[in-house]
Amino acid sequence: MIEGLMQALTPTYMLWLTVGVLMGMVVGTLPGLTATMGTALLVPFTFALDPGPGIAMLGGLYVCAMFSDAIPACLVNTPGTPAAMATAFDGHPMVLEGRGQEAIVGACFSSALGTFFGAACYLLLAFPMIAIALMFGPPEFFWLGIFALTIIGSLAGDSILKGLAGGGIGLLISAVGISHANEVARFTYGVPEFRAGVSLVAGLIGVFAVPQVLSMVMGIRRKEFIADYDRKPGVAFQTMKKVLAHPIHVIRSGVIGSFIGVLPGAGSVVAALVSYSEAVRWSKDNSKFGKGDLRGVTASEIANNAAAPASMVPLVTLGVPGSSPAAVIAGALMLRGLTPGPELFQTDGTLVFAFGWSLMIAGVVTFILGSLFAPVLVRIIRIPLRLLAPLIMFLAVIGAYAIRNNVFDVYIMLGIGVFVFLIRPLGFHPGPIGLGLILGPIIEPSLVQALYISDASSIGQIFFTGTINYILIAMTIFSLVVAVWSHRKEKAKKRENIPIEESA
Amino acid sequence: MQKLMDKDIITALVLFAIGGFFLNGAGDDVKNWIFPVLAIYLLLGIATVLVLRVLFAGVINRAPDILQFAQENRVKYRDVLVFFLIVLVYMFVMTGLGFWLATFLMLALTSNYLTIEKTRRNIRLAFVVPLGACIVAYLIFLHLFYVPFPKATWWPGLT
Repeated sequence: MIEGLMQALTPTYMLWLTVGVLMGMVVGTLPGLTATMGTALLVPFTFALDPGPGIAMLGGLYVCAMFSDAIPACLVNTPGTPAAMATAFDGHPMVLEGRGQEAIVGACFSSALGTFFGAACYLLLAFPMIAIALMFGPPEFFWLGIFALTIIGSLAGDSILKGLAGGGIGLLISAVGISHANEVARFTYGVPEFRAGVSLVAGLIGVFAVPQVLSMVMGIRRKEFIADYDRKPGVAFQTMKKVLAHPIHVIRSGVIGSFIGVLPGAGSVVAALVSYSEAVRWSKDNSKFGKGDLRGVTASEIANNAAAPASMVPLVTLGVPGSSPAAVIAGALMLRGLTPGPELFQTDGTLVFAFGWSLMIAGVVTFILGSLFAPVLVRIIRIPLRLLAPLIMFLAVIGAYAIRNNVFDVYIMLGIGVFVFLIRPLGFHPGPIGLGLILGPIIEPSLVQALYISDASSIGQIFFTGTINYILIAMTIFSLVVAVWSHRKEKAKKRENIPIEESA
Repeated sequence: MQKLMDKDIITALVLFAIGGFFLNGAGDDVKNWIFPVLAIYLLLGIATVLVLRVLFAGVINRAPDILQFAQENRVKYRDVLVFFLIVLVYMFVMTGLGFWLATFLMLALTSNYLTIEKTRRNIRLAFVVPLGACIVAYLIFLHLFYVPFPKATWWPGLT
């Protein structure tokens, strides 16, 4: 392991790692470009390098993209990648309050902490973690998805019913296209393009970016900028202190992110959502979540960054990639004649450990670069809305198009965006709709696979047996009860406050 | 009539419409349709609960939560409509004019429309910023990430 660290600290490793981090900064910041796309584009460059620095560069890109996707999420309420959706819930309200630099530095520092957790899991706990992960089958993934859906309770706004309805709409949109079971085309209504389904990225851009742009246009005669921004000295240091002031929150988010990252297929998106949900649930005062609470940003960013290195654990222990970028990295290794899996530990252990250390160092490099760029990046909010609104729409169009090079995705993005904009005055929040869109493709295949398994036994035996299922079901019920209870409490508080305000 | 503008009633109608639309296109094979059908029933169930809630509110004389359309907001709605129409036209001419020309025109037109104080400097900015954005995006997306954007079909040769 020490040999691996020494190798990761060599100038060649550090140079290519920094190149990867810089590319990750671009890829994460631009909606529509994903970490998978970025790593895939960098693979040809790794041929000119030794395998170690080559995969360190890819890992650096992945880690940094998991941070930089928080930048558009915070500044313009448009997640750079789906993993930053939960970051936008509190990051954007923070920007609107003039705390943009705090949001970006908070996200950046949290990302570094998250990467540290994930990389530590990779370096120290790879084999025990994978033993637990192997206990997860389709029913367990189904319940994990349902549990992640309970985050709706904290995103629903004033009405849990409308939050649930938003989640249902998102799930339905995600079901358009070829089914996961028998390749039946669903809800295509004679339009062949719908067979390919709704691209997740295009859908999320539609849900978050388009209503945001249209709201900016609505407010164009009232205000000139998104929010005010005055650079305050010492914000970075104070923000780091604020993040570290909640050590249990940090550890919980890191553990959740690392564990979910190890589960193949779950990935950074689910990690961020579950971590956010748990942060809300375990917080003594959760009334500020969704309204600009730094803990919301840190919960999401620590978890999605912890999940990135952790998703390499099944790759190096079993040869099974835990996420799409991990699959690309597996491909890069295989192209160099190295087969990921337990043998790689024996034949080239130094390379495996050097990669783990590189991921940890990537977190540090990301933090340094992110903190340096934060004051510059946050100035985006000082671009006049008359110029910014069209530019965001342009980026939304490019983002929706670039993911599959298909103009139809742009139409879908615009259609979903206008729909969300129109139903917002009814009390709908974009969060649950986005959540449904993200979790649909995770819940449905697990449900269908579990149903196939249940052909041999009963549905009850499949879904309602096993310790992990019991734990996940109990957590889901508990989460729902807490959500309903805190909503009622908040409503009662509001009712109590009205006469006081009126009499004042 | 005003009660029909209750937010819960409109939400219920929207959910019934979405649920009905999707239910109409649903099949009956369990493994292919169980997931969307469950989501549809969730929407229809919530819509029913919302209707019952409105009826109950009527019984206990609770004031309805009416959706407001203030007259002074008409200009705002017009701004959104014009902006949206320009974007819609852009979507359709994108494949004819080519991505980059259509994008520049969309950006310049919308930026100009949204510029309320039409000073010489602001108008110049409304052309310069879209041009700069197009050039930067062209370099990043075409030459760094190799994204093949739609080319002009009305005037072949124009990118």
